Amino acid sequence: MAGAIIENMSTGKLCIVGGILFVFQIVAFLLGGLIAPNPTSVIHSTATKCIDVQKNHHKTKWFMPWGPNQCEKISSFDEALKRQIEANDIVFAVHIPYISKEMNPWFQFMLSIMQLDIAFKSNNFIQENAMVTLDVTMAYRNDLSGKWTELARSTEQRKLKCKLPTPKSQISEGHYYECDLIPLIELGSVAHKYYLVNIRLPVNERKKVNIGIGEIKDLKLTTIFQNGGFTKVWFAMKTFLTPSILIIMIWYWRRITMMTRSPVLLEKVIFALGISMTFINIPVEWFSIGFNWTWMLLFGDIRQGIFYAMLLSFWIIFCGEHMMDQTERNRLSRYWKQVGPIAFGSCCLFIFDMCERGVQLKNPFYSIWATDVGTELAMAFIIVAGICACLYFGFLCFMVFQVFRNISGKRSKLPAMSKTRRLHYEGLIFRFKFFMLVTLACAALSVIFFITSQVNEGHWTWDGTTVQVNSAFFTGIYGMWNLYVFALMFLYAPSHKNYGDDQSNGDLRVNSAEELQLTTTITHADGPTEVFRLAGKEAQE
Amino acid sequence: MGGGGFPLPLCVYAPEGFSADTLELPGLMDFYFLLGFLFSCVVSGRKVFAGYPIWWSLALGQQYNSLASRPILCGSIPGLVPKQLRFCRNYIEIMPSVAEGVKLGVQECKHQFRGRRWNCTTIDDSLAIFGPVLDKATRESAFVHAIASAGVAFAVIRSCTEGTSTICGCDSHHKGPPGEGWKWGGCSEDAEFGILVSREFADARENRPDARSAMNRHNNEAGRTTILDHMHLKCKCHGLSGSCEVKTCWWTQPDFRAIGDYLKDKYDSASEMVVEKHRESRGWVETLRAKYALFKPPTERDLVYYENSPNFCEPNPETGSFGTKDRTCNVTSHGIDGCDLLCCGRGHNTRTEKRKEKCHCIFHWCCYVSCQECVRVYDVHTCK
Repeated sequence: MAGAIIENMSTGKLCIVGGILFVFQIVAFLLGGLIAPNPTSVIHSTATKCIDVQKNHHKTKWFMPWGPNQCEKISSFDEALKRQIEANDIVFAVHIPYISKEMNPWFQFMLSIMQLDIAFKSNNFIQENAMVTLDVTMAYRNDLSGKWTELARSTEQRKLKCKLPTPKSQISEGHYYECDLIPLIELGSVAHKYYLVNIRLPVNERKKVNIGIGEIKDLKLTTIFQNGGFTKVWFAMKTFLTPSILIIMIWYWRRITMMTRSPVLLEKVIFALGISMTFINIPVEWFSIGFNWTWMLLFGDIRQGIFYAMLLSFWIIFCGEHMMDQTERNRLSRYWKQVGPIAFGSCCLFIFDMCERGVQLKNPFYSIWATDVGTELAMAFIIVAGICACLYFGFLCFMVFQVFRNISGKRSKLPAMSKTRRLHYEGLIFRFKFFMLVTLACAALSVIFFITSQVNEGHWTWDGTTVQVNSAFFTGIYGMWNLYVFALMFLYAPSHKNYGDDQSNGDLRVNSAEELQLTTTITHADGPTEVFRLAGKEAQE
Repeated sequence: MGGGGFPLPLCVYAPEGFSADTLELPGLMDFYFLLGFLFSCVVSGRKVFAGYPIWWSLALGQQYNSLASRPILCGSIPGLVPKQLRFCRNYIEIMPSVAEGVKLGVQECKHQFRGRRWNCTTIDDSLAIFGPVLDKATRESAFVHAIASAGVAFAVIRSCTEGTSTICGCDSHHKGPPGEGWKWGGCSEDAEFGILVSREFADARENRPDARSAMNRHNNEAGRTTILDHMHLKCKCHGLSGSCEVKTCWWTQPDFRAIGDYLKDKYDSASEMVVEKHRESRGWVETLRAKYALFKPPTERDLVYYENSPNFCEPNPETGSFGTKDRTCNVTSHGIDGCDLLCCGRGHNTRTEKRKEKCHCIFHWCCYVSCQECVRVYDVHTCK
């Protein structure tokens, strides 16, 4: 018999395994839908307009929007005009979070997006390609009466992409521009309780700094962070999944090493897939609760990237090894054409990520999209990665087509075969197709959920019970790929029936020649196995 | 009509409307409540139940500013019904935003009606800030009610984002371990809270079964619906390498001018209604029905009215019209702000004025303009 468990398993048992996996899948969805809250939360802040009365722009002073040491503030800029306060004396102050709340390490990350409310005036409008220059400082403290400690300080430039929803005429005066969101801060860990952001928009007429940006009415900051409840559910899931995948991985590798032959490429790739899945699963995030590890966001990206690259490579090799044409593959170098684009694309995205989130470790205000050169560079990386992805999917589709063509070719020869051989062939083809179907279903499900999460509003309510759809998608998809890897390692592990007991059966020996031919044609991937088996059989006889 | 006897019957059944307490304000004792109720009835006389709320006078009081150090005294706000008084005492924190909201509404009304015969005139030394104009159930009343209730919702939503108020949406109705609401599931959207405040406070006095109350309720709701309809959805992708694998979306408020523009359109297309009387167990109830069956019946977004507006051409203390005499008009316009229409055919005077104006300006984004001074000659047209 040929190698894997899936080929030796009865349909009934296969159904039971499928059923159990399905139950786990449902549990994964319900975990996110019913227990976890929405994955992320948003804090809207309108910046308080403080006046820097002391005129000492050099000394570090923190401007608090409220509390005992609050700054002197103005309610609108009309008031500033009356009091002859200049733009350089104005500091926008935002405290994160709201009064009487505190941030928490469970929030994992924090992104802030800036939005400027700019009113249209026919004699003071936003000029073409306007840039806004921001003097941003950020500070933190851990108790309400403590001193602010500086976290980061930078002078940033951002493009101001705004359009007026109404025609540019006298009538539209006072209308606000619709501006693109300006990403401002990205923090990879939320280690402190209170954060304070002070933003200045210094004006320099000679250097044309902050000239021609219209009349700013308000500065708003939207802060996104992961909900503590979601983090807890996510960690719990990871903590449960890590040992599950680890155990099946050890079991799988033990089975392979128990055989006297060396493992074949497909087996190695499945094992590598298991390793990359475990790499994602290991809940190192637990440490982020105690330590201020700002690189967690980047690390998470890398782990995900490795898994995706591994999964894509696996699909190619899986198809290639089931090609059923008499070509000998079984070496990674045979797949360079297909795996090459994956490696190259992943590298591009890795470099891009290092340029964005890597630099943000040093300067949380950095954005590669802020400058023209940066934007072009980023676009170049993304486009190259996109081309690689297209190339890859072209190859993959072609290979899947080839496999199915070979299968139908074999099928036409089926009636001419003996009964046992035909049944066996049909079973093999069915199981291969079954696996293709599962892979396709998983991929389709991921895509459907991705699209749904892009358009829906995040939660559905059925008579009082709120289902957090976005959370359900995250936990569900994550659980699904874990189960996929689990099933792969379980079903494609070498079967016990491979060696030892099966050859003792006299009836089978009659078919052995036929069987040999059969296994070499279908799972030629097990080439070395066949050689070994042939040798073994000869020795036996 | 005397101030003494008339309001009593209206006062008596007002408490019926207290059933819908969505905010679940901590209850006061009935006795105390009744006492305060009678008190407010007697003190403010018929003004409590004028066609429009007296507390709108908050809009003109400069002292009610969100940054003012002086707290608002609920007792000093004129024309509050007991439910509003209770609300004010319990949520004193957000009262400055309520005042700011009405102010915003009035400002927007002035902007939208700037060139019209009725230009949303407010009277500074009166508690009824619009004079008797809005006592009738006209289009103008409909617009002002809608813009005021929208303004309250808008200002409350905005003030929640200033982060100094502890009652805005956080910690409420979230599951998870108790006391960890914020840590577990963050805050809910501020928009609902703003709408809720506007509904609780602005609609509190509109619980009578008469036609005017029904109209005010409808128009107030239309204003609030406009706020919700005009919210923009903004999204940020922050997944793998910043891809949209993970996306967070939130609603942002439009600028209030857009709300004003929209409601002005609704003012122009407001539906005229007729009053119908029904006999129900609690007495006579007045409801509104569209006057013209041919037209589409008004939706919840449309403004409704059932009395025709005066023409506002001549001054008339009874209707509250100031007339258009001495108003500046636009001689080139054929619209309502043109001299023909605005002056109601009485003709206009023209005089030339030399004005010193600022020109060739360089603007900073805030508070500073450096200009040259130019002298320009203008023709000013005013109505006879």
